[in-house]
Amino acid sequence: MTESLVAGSPNPLSHRLFARPEIGATAAAGVILVFFLAAAPAFRSGGSFFTVLYQSSTIGIVAIGVGLLMIGGEFDLSAGVIVTTAGLANSMFCWWFGIDLWVGALLSLAFCLFIGFVNGYLVMRTGIPSFLITLGTFFVLQGANLGLTKVVTGSVTSPDISRMDGYPLLEGVFASNFDAGGVTVWGTVLWWLGFTALAAWVLQRTRTGNWVFAIGGSADSARAVGVPVVRTKIGLFMTVSFLGWFVGMHTLYRFNTLQAGNGVGNEFLYIIAAVVGGTLLTGGYGNAIGVGIGAFIFGTTSLGIVYAGWDPNWFKAFLGVMLLLAVLVNLYVKSLATSTRLLRDSPGKADDA
Amino acid sequence: MTLIEMREVGKTYGPIRALGGISLSVRAGEVTCVLGDNGAGKSTLIKIMSGLLEHTEGQLMVDGEELVFSSPRQALSRGIATVYQDLAVVPLMEVWRNFFLGAELRSGRFPLAGLRIREMRRIADEELRKMGITVKDINQPIGTLSGGQRQCVAIARAVYFGARVLILDEPTAALGVKQSGVVLKYTAAARDAGLGVVFITHNPHHAYLVGDRFLVLKRGRVELDSRRDEISLNDLTQEMAGGDELDALAHELRRTTK
Amino acid sequence: MALVAAVLVLTACSEGGRVKDPDTGDGTAGDNSGYTIAMITHETPGDSFWDRVRAGAEQAAKNTGVDLKYSNDPDAGKQAVLIQNAVDSRVDGIATTLVTPDALAGSVKTATQAGIPVVGLNAGIDDYRRLGVSMYFGSDETRAGTAAGERIAAEGAKHPLCVIHQAGSVSLEARCEGVRSAVPDTENLQVNGADDAAVVSTLQAKLQQDPSIDYIVSLGAPIALDAGKAKESGDSQAKIITFDLNQETAQGVKDGTIEFSIDQQPYMQGFMAVTSLYLNLKNGNDLGGGEAVLTGPSFVDGDNIGQILPFVQNGTR
Repeated sequence: MTESLVAGSPNPLSHRLFARPEIGATAAAGVILVFFLAAAPAFRSGGSFFTVLYQSSTIGIVAIGVGLLMIGGEFDLSAGVIVTTAGLANSMFCWWFGIDLWVGALLSLAFCLFIGFVNGYLVMRTGIPSFLITLGTFFVLQGANLGLTKVVTGSVTSPDISRMDGYPLLEGVFASNFDAGGVTVWGTVLWWLGFTALAAWVLQRTRTGNWVFAIGGSADSARAVGVPVVRTKIGLFMTVSFLGWFVGMHTLYRFNTLQAGNGVGNEFLYIIAAVVGGTLLTGGYGNAIGVGIGAFIFGTTSLGIVYAGWDPNWFKAFLGVMLLLAVLVNLYVKSLATSTRLLRDSPGKADDA
Repeated sequence: MTLIEMREVGKTYGPIRALGGISLSVRAGEVTCVLGDNGAGKSTLIKIMSGLLEHTEGQLMVDGEELVFSSPRQALSRGIATVYQDLAVVPLMEVWRNFFLGAELRSGRFPLAGLRIREMRRIADEELRKMGITVKDINQPIGTLSGGQRQCVAIARAVYFGARVLILDEPTAALGVKQSGVVLKYTAAARDAGLGVVFITHNPHHAYLVGDRFLVLKRGRVELDSRRDEISLNDLTQEMAGGDELDALAHELRRTTK
Repeated sequence: MALVAAVLVLTACSEGGRVKDPDTGDGTAGDNSGYTIAMITHETPGDSFWDRVRAGAEQAAKNTGVDLKYSNDPDAGKQAVLIQNAVDSRVDGIATTLVTPDALAGSVKTATQAGIPVVGLNAGIDDYRRLGVSMYFGSDETRAGTAAGERIAAEGAKHPLCVIHQAGSVSLEARCEGVRSAVPDTENLQVNGADDAAVVSTLQAKLQQDPSIDYIVSLGAPIALDAGKAKESGDSQAKIITFDLNQETAQGVKDGTIEFSIDQQPYMQGFMAVTSLYLNLKNGNDLGGGEAVLTGPSFVDGDNIGQILPFVQNGTR
């Protein structure tokens, strides 16, 4: 049967390496890091580096979920506000009923998971693009955040929770930091690295990960071979809301009060981190390490500009350029992966394609 | 041995009847060809067999047991595998991941259990070689293979996972002559391995090369049901191309060109 | 469900929760005067500043028996439509912010032509007369900035950092300009005000980059708190001053973590706008003698915080 199928050596290493989603982002992160180390003297310290990591982690944690969801072929525009929703639900519930904060944290978790479930269920049930469904959720949450906070507290900021029961414990879990050789390391950085490692393992090494790639790459093909598409996608939406809840908890326990209007706009930062990290906008391709690097690029540039003493007004423009470059690189990589170019380029015998 | 038997099976969507009165049987080691023009009801028929649609009339029996499939997973567990023309594989995923998709080997049952990647690569490579398919690199995205090659991988996958019934949905429709030949060879190989094959096509030439039984559908009904020794390729082509309608059309065209 | 209920019972009565049965009655409701007044602002939902403007307006409406219709939109075009709506629904008076005077001029003109008195509040001090608006209650952003700048200059400020938390806001830029007019070496920094964590790390980065910063000028109450966090994480000795007040910043002023606050008294802006419209309708009065009535800058510092703190906690200052 060799008339139709090629025998030959495996692809050269360069091809395999090039086809990895995070390779473009890693190179870019390296260049940006070196650039700011050279341009900004204040950047060259352990303390600065960990400030950058902290900034990256607050975006990066939710971006992991958003990245997984995008690999699974869906969007979540409500990911930015749900962070604020989570914190508000926790603080206002506890304040109103005068209960322990950890009960509120758990109720808030249940509520966020429920929102994720509703997002996923509506998308799967109606077949309406997730872009529209979660745009709806985004507005609902944004309005509810403001409206409910106003009703409960009479203002648009949540009550201060720092004197309530359970605060020290939860602050320790979600918003602690420690000193490591003279630099302040925030717990979120470790959580971020941990979640990234976990997501990378799940994606590459577990059946669930295989299914995520499959439902994003071709949901109908996946369904035809028995992959539970609905369950997997709903699970991904719930993962996003879980990670949103986690960052919401961090924000709440670090700042003690929340502005009800906050979080809007961050959903795009998550998507940017995922796309810059090599996640394909149309699904089926990407990895968690790449998303982590995407978030790191975000952290480095947003603060690097400040460290260099430049006008941060330019930051968004820079971010846009990064996004466009990333999209171009992704497009090229995808065309490599889906065409027979790899076969033709390799020294092996060309086939009949 | 009869694997699947359908008796007067039909499917209605409210007042609309997509399919009605279909009776057929799929036997081990035989290729049953289902022919028909676009809209004849072929895809409704295979969706019922593969579990994507539930039938609303008649009986579907697998190994003599009457069933209504509610998901592809259920059909798969009864050994009925379907290879769809355009949805056979997930293009961006590696060959071995595609091969094991939906039936991954894991090192445990807990949710985060690792995949047995090395083993899956080896098995996929071996199984493909066994069927005479040699992929250059089992780790390349399957999208880099040609259409015929992808169909073949999908067939090899179904055979490996113990399919007893293999439903092929228009496997040659988008392929060139040479690649169609390859796919037909694997179809024959699956038949020889003792599988019951359901071969959906609108090409009577391809059907006649491998078929043991021919079913021609028209507007959701069986127009012709015949064994290979009862019908010639010419008759089949005639039937498929429209039979009497074609004669009438030829007549009409003659008049207009006068 | 039973479990949840049990947990709630068991853990009830946490510290720092809602104070039950709060004292609600402040001021007596006046008789229904029959007037309807529309207040239209450019409030971006979620800014606690506007809570106070609104609280003041509502209290005034209650005192005078006015039916108050509040609406808001940060988009200039939509705010103009809201004013037009108020005119169409034949309200008796309109109080509006004039942050984008040219965009609102048309709607304001239809109102004045229809004989509806219009007062301005909060923003538009340079333009309200041109638009035919009879009274104005607010503070002069540049003047407030200058006052703050002069005060820190007197305390020895050399290199203040003015933190702009909303991109492209004219009034925030004006405040920073005011500070700069008093302390020439003032630097502006743009931050993402919708993300506290981002504000903190950006400020932290700036303080590390430039240790010579000796004052952080926050232009909104929540930003002052973020600045405090940023200062904690580094070893900057910069002092913090802020525009506007909320409970936490007031507490900060009391504790000495914030030097002082430049308050423009939003409660009074809302209160005076409604009250003056009422008096104008009822009695033909006008206030200010043709000049803007300034509600700020009013300094809140260690000397007067003791008196002001209860009002802040009450949500009226």
